[in-house]
Amino acid sequence: MKRISIIGSGNVGTNTAFFIAETRTADVLLVDIKDGVAAGKALDLMEAGPVRGYATAIRGSVRIDDIEGSDVVIIAAGVNRKPGQQREDVYRDNAPTVRSIANDIKRLAPGALVINIVEPIDLLTLLIQETLGADRFRVMGVGGLLTSTRIRYLVSKALGVSPREVTGLIVGPHHPSMVFLRDTIRVSGIPAETLLGAQRLDQLIEEARTAGDTILQLAKRSSAFYASCAAAAALVEAIVCDTKALLPVSVRCEGEYGVKGLAIGVPAYIGEKGVAGILELKLGAADRAAFDNAAAALRTAHDNIVATGA
Amino acid sequence: MSKNKVSIIGAGNVGATATYYIAEKVIADLVMVDVVGGMTQAKAVDFLHAGPLRGYDVSISIVGTDDFAQIADSNVVVITAGMPRKPGMDRMDLLKVNAGIVKQAARAIVEHAPNAVVVVVSNPLDIMCHVALRSTGFALRRVVGMAGILDSTRFRYFVAEKLGCALSSVHAMVLGGHGDQMVPLPRLTTVGGVPITELMDAATIARLVDRTRKGGAEIVGLLKTGSAYYAPAASVADMVESIITDRKHLAPCAAYVRGEYGIDDLFIGVPVILGRNGVERIIELGLSDDEKALLQASAGAVRQGVEELNTFFKPT
Repeated sequence: MKRISIIGSGNVGTNTAFFIAETRTADVLLVDIKDGVAAGKALDLMEAGPVRGYATAIRGSVRIDDIEGSDVVIIAAGVNRKPGQQREDVYRDNAPTVRSIANDIKRLAPGALVINIVEPIDLLTLLIQETLGADRFRVMGVGGLLTSTRIRYLVSKALGVSPREVTGLIVGPHHPSMVFLRDTIRVSGIPAETLLGAQRLDQLIEEARTAGDTILQLAKRSSAFYASCAAAAALVEAIVCDTKALLPVSVRCEGEYGVKGLAIGVPAYIGEKGVAGILELKLGAADRAAFDNAAAALRTAHDNIVATGA
Repeated sequence: MSKNKVSIIGAGNVGATATYYIAEKVIADLVMVDVVGGMTQAKAVDFLHAGPLRGYDVSISIVGTDDFAQIADSNVVVITAGMPRKPGMDRMDLLKVNAGIVKQAARAIVEHAPNAVVVVVSNPLDIMCHVALRSTGFALRRVVGMAGILDSTRFRYFVAEKLGCALSSVHAMVLGGHGDQMVPLPRLTTVGGVPITELMDAATIARLVDRTRKGGAEIVGLLKTGSAYYAPAASVADMVESIITDRKHLAPCAAYVRGEYGIDDLFIGVPVILGRNGVERIIELGLSDDEKALLQASAGAVRQGVEELNTFFKPT
C-alpha cells in the first residue's frame, strides 16, 4: 500500500484524507502542528471505517518527521484568501509555511511526489518545485481540475444528465483569468455548446469561474473545500493506480504552451511518476490570446514577489 | 422507498454475468429466468454464497427460476435469451429462431410485469427490439436495445490502449445498427474532451474504428465456440443502473426513431438519455454528409432485416 502524507488537517486536509480512504487506494498520515488535532480527526475517520467499508489506515501526528518515506505528500497548510486580496497578498501569507514544508519534504521524503492545494496554487507550486530542486513533473498543483469538476457539474445540471460522462479542460492560472477550452466541454463526446446553445454555456462558464467566490459568500466563514479535496484525491488515485488520466493540473512548464519557468494549469497525463506528459493542444486564436495575457499577468505577479523578496 | 426489482430473461453467459454486475451495485432485487431451471437456480444460489464476501449478502435477493411469473412487477426486464452467434454465422441467420424466443419473453413481460422498461440484448439486436416492441405493445420509450454502449466501450478501450491513457478519460460515440455497419464517430470520441482526431493520425483512427466494428467478431474468433459476454454484460448493467437510479446517462442505445436523423420508424443506435422511464430523450446531433451517408447505410441494413422479419413474424 502506498503511503500518502497530508500536511495540514483543516477542512482541506481532513476531507482529502476522507476521500482517499473512500477510494481505498492508500494509507494516509495526517500531520498538523496543532497538538492532537490531526490525531483526533484521524481517529474519527478510522472509527467511521467499519460502516463505510474502507480498509485503509489513517493516522494522525504532530511530528513532521513522520512523513519520512512517503510516496506522496499533499500540502494543505495555508490560510484562505480574504475578500479583496490579490494573489501576491495570499502568497505572502502562505509562502513561509509552504517553503518550510517543502524543505521538510526534501529532508524526509526526497523521492515523494508533491501535490499542492494551497493558494495561490501556481506560484506556490513553483516555489515548492524550486525549493525541492526536484524533477518538475513530480510537483503538481490542484487548480484546473477543481474548476473542471465545477463546470462538469454545472453542465450536467443544466442538461439534466449524469455528470460522469461530462468532460471539460481548463488551462492557465488558477485565477479568474483561467481559460475554459469550450470545445472540450462535452457530454459523452457531444459538444455541450450544441446541446445548450452558446449563450447558456457562456453563463455556466462564468458561474464556474466565480464558483469559489459564490461558495465563500454562501458559507460566509468557510471557503469551498469539498471540490478541492475531491480533485486532490483524484490525483492520488491516478498516481497510485498509475492510470494516466488526463487531468488539468498546475505544473512547471519549460516551453509548453509558450511558458518557461512558471507553474501554470495545463492538461497532463497523471501516473505513478507524477506528470507522465503534458498534452499540448493547439489553442484557437481567442484562447491563445487569453492564455498569453493570463500567463503574462502571472509572470508579473511572480516577478513582483521575487523583487520584494517575499 | 419500495424496493426495485430487475429481471433477466436468459441465464446464459450474458444474462448471468449481467446479474452479477447488477448485484454488485446493490440497487435491486434480481430474478433470472431461463428455460433451463436447475442451472439458473444453481447460478442464483452460487451468487448468494458469494454475497458475504462481495457485500450484497442480505440487502438484495437473487432468484433463479424457470417460472416466468417470478418476474412479477419488475421495474426493468432484460431480454438476453437467444441462440448465440457461431463463428461465420451472420446475425441474420439467427433471426427466425431468436424472434420466437424474444416474442415468448415479451409476452411474459406483458402478462407479469406490464410496467417494466424492457432492455433488449438478444441478436440481431435492432430487429429483436422490433420484436419486443411489437409483442409488448409498450410505449416506444419503454423498449430500448443494448448496442451502442457496448460498441463505444470497446472503442474507448482501444483508444485508451493505443494512447496509454486512463480508460476513465476516454468517451466515445458510436451510432447506427449493431452490426458491421455501425457508425463510430471519431470527432465525438474524446480524451478528457479532446477529440481523438487531434491526438492520432487518420490511419490509426481508421484501424481502431475497424477493430471496433469487428469487436464482437474478434472475440468470437478467439473463443471459437462462444461469443463475448463480459463487455456486453457490463453494458447491460450500466443501462439498468441508469434506469433504476434515474441517472440520466447520455449514451448511445438502440431507440425507436420517428424522423430523428431523417430515419422513420426504426430501432437504430442514437444518443439517448436513459432514466427511470427508459428513453427519456433522443439527442439529435448535426452530422456531416459522410456520417449521414454511413448512418443511412446502416439504417438500410436494419430496415432490410425488419422486412425479412415482416415476411414471417406475427406479434401475438
